[in-house]
Amino acid sequence: MSLEAVLQVLVAACAVYLGLVYASYLWLMAVGLWENRRRVREHTIDDVATVATSRFFPGVSVVVAAYNESAALPSAVRSLLALDYSEFEVIVVNDGSTDETLERLVAAFDLVPVEAAARGVVETERVRGYYRSTLDARLLVIDKDNGGKADALNAGLDHCRFRYVCGVDADTVFARDALSRVMRVVSRDPARIVGLTSFVEIAEDPSRALVDGSSFTIPDSRPLLAYQTIDYLRAFYNNRIAWSRLDFMLCAIGAFQVWRRDLLDDLRGWSRDFTCEDIELTFRVHEVLRRRGRPYHVVCLPDRVGVTEGPDTVRKLVAQRERWQRVILETWWAYRSMCLNRRYGSVGLVGMPFYLLSEIVAPVFELVAVVTLCVGAVFGLVDWRLCVAVTLLITVLNSLFSTGALLMVDLHGQVYRRRGLVRLLLLMPLELFVYRPVMTWARIKGTWRFLRGDRAWHKFERNVRAETP
Amino acid sequence: MDGPAALILACALAAVCWLGLAGAILIRRLSARGRTRSGEHAAIADASAAPRMSSGPSWEAAGTRALLERGLRSGDSDDRIASIGVLGRLASEHEWAVDCLVEGLANWTETPERVAAHLDSLAPRVGERLVPLLGHPDDVVRFYAVRLLGRYRALAGRHVAALTRDSCPNVRAAALETLRETGSSDALRCALQLLDDDHPLVRAHASRTASRISGPAAARFVAPLLSDPSWWVRDAAREALVAAGPDVADMMLPLLDDEDPARRSGAALVLQDVGTIDELARSGDRQEPLERILGAGGERLRAAAAARAESGQSLGGGGSSWVGTAS
Repeated sequence: MSLEAVLQVLVAACAVYLGLVYASYLWLMAVGLWENRRRVREHTIDDVATVATSRFFPGVSVVVAAYNESAALPSAVRSLLALDYSEFEVIVVNDGSTDETLERLVAAFDLVPVEAAARGVVETERVRGYYRSTLDARLLVIDKDNGGKADALNAGLDHCRFRYVCGVDADTVFARDALSRVMRVVSRDPARIVGLTSFVEIAEDPSRALVDGSSFTIPDSRPLLAYQTIDYLRAFYNNRIAWSRLDFMLCAIGAFQVWRRDLLDDLRGWSRDFTCEDIELTFRVHEVLRRRGRPYHVVCLPDRVGVTEGPDTVRKLVAQRERWQRVILETWWAYRSMCLNRRYGSVGLVGMPFYLLSEIVAPVFELVAVVTLCVGAVFGLVDWRLCVAVTLLITVLNSLFSTGALLMVDLHGQVYRRRGLVRLLLLMPLELFVYRPVMTWARIKGTWRFLRGDRAWHKFERNVRAETP
Repeated sequence: MDGPAALILACALAAVCWLGLAGAILIRRLSARGRTRSGEHAAIADASAAPRMSSGPSWEAAGTRALLERGLRSGDSDDRIASIGVLGRLASEHEWAVDCLVEGLANWTETPERVAAHLDSLAPRVGERLVPLLGHPDDVVRFYAVRLLGRYRALAGRHVAALTRDSCPNVRAAALETLRETGSSDALRCALQLLDDDHPLVRAHASRTASRISGPAAARFVAPLLSDPSWWVRDAAREALVAAGPDVADMMLPLLDDEDPARRSGAALVLQDVGTIDELARSGDRQEPLERILGAGGERLRAAAAARAESGQSLGGGGSSWVGTAS
């Protein structure tokens, strides 16, 4: 087979792939816009303030898993204790940190060592001790041996007193109305809604991005953070909101995930057998509940509930995204039996194939497409005008999807300041050349590490933050 | 048309869509329809519109009431919630809106917590209207009616005790929760009777109610629940005993030698939280009971006590409970 023939086959394969992926994205954006419209309507008529103060809405146990989070954790816990919701508790689990995480918590919240009783629903690594705050009785700190994030969340689950469990990340700062916004939706259909996640913004220093507990000062002006913002917007508004509508919401993010406690107890909590716990739990919920034939719904909301830390260097970003790719591959592979299986409904017939197409084989196709077009153009085997046209088309389509996500944010009444908005719009066309190569590299690296069986977390080094009181 | 030309055409189409969307966003902002803070515009518009509307003559019209009643009955949850919200705001000035909400709770209970939230905020105007709902055939209606009566001591004292014998455990638990507020001897009697109810939720609320009304005197009745099979009940019993204050210590000390390990460790935890351990450690002359408590509580309890003593911290001081009520 000649080089020309090989290139032609590859070009045809890439064209088919691109056609499929972009058609899926277009469809999801349309569904996302529709669903967002419904949520905007809900938000307009619903009274979040009543939800926040009423004693008739279910209590929530917020669990924060922390490993070496001395810089970020106090701000996160402070924002959680300031939540506007009538009944909740905050359980911080120090997962054997080797830095000053525990010491800083003790100082910030005047913690006193105590003994406490666990529910005994799930096995975890040894608990070394408990601490209660003399400043706020709702705060419990569990100090335990290191066992990974899933184990830490399970330790928190084992002490949860309320009907709903909200797992959050230690590097995230929350808006005051975060819980009331999501629980108002849960209360609409508590029998069916078993899990819920919502949009989380990104910033270099989350504690500075949230003023007075509710006003956001984002997006971050630096291009790396701005591109991550665009990426997050697309992931939530174009994808997850649509997945939620189509009943295959396959990833409740670790930064903010609300689950019914009885379901978590039933599933014995988060799994320690995977590199990352959030996506696996969502897959498992779908697998178990579909198999049992139980009606349920996992929801993603467009409401912005908090701000999480985004890597501020390319190196850290690659480390983070490489891990995400590994985690997706690992989870998808473990639950591959759901793919194209009618028993699992939209999860098996749409969600799993979409993941395969858009996440798992994407970096391979992206690499093949670039190499094919470059080799073809250099040897004169592919029309250079074709290369330019494809590049232009991808650029414009990516910008279209990003702008669609931005429009949804705007319609939801959560717009950025005008200057930030224009900056995002201007950065979009350059994404393919500036940000995308980094993403592709990270995903290829993640795929390679998955194939080699790497299971390490490779946590990215935290950004330098200003000291918080 | 060759490949590149078709792609350029597709590109042009996509570009038009993209620029159209971008233009729509910018025009929205420039025409001042955009918002700078999350949900602020909608929330303010909503909140400010209702009082204006409520004082207008149109709200007095029978048609308005019919419209909102239809909204309450609607199959669309948005319609129901919108109607409840408007009625909740109108209810501050209009009795008919209160009637509508009560009727809504009685007849269309798909979103009862929202109706209940508004009725709760109207106390003390609603009480008498809730009493008939106590005999409603629907468990959910009885549950919310009982809980709402928690704001009306006299009414609760007269009508709620009978609900502690309700067939639905949620209603029995709610009745106990409401009776807790009355502080009456009848309420205490009901709570003590329900300490061995079949349902853990009821036992949990019974222990809290008994302890709230009777304080340390209820400890000997609540203490057996420290070894209840349900974690929820054990937790509630501990919480109830801690809330009763340091005077429960005398009742807890004998339990440190109980055969049941759950009861031993539960008693030790109560003694920790009411401050007995720290007090004994400070006094230094009563080492025997301190050792018994630490022995019953286990290594972590001992280590925590030692750490507190070392740092000069202490717990309790009037039996401050760490916790609220888990629902």
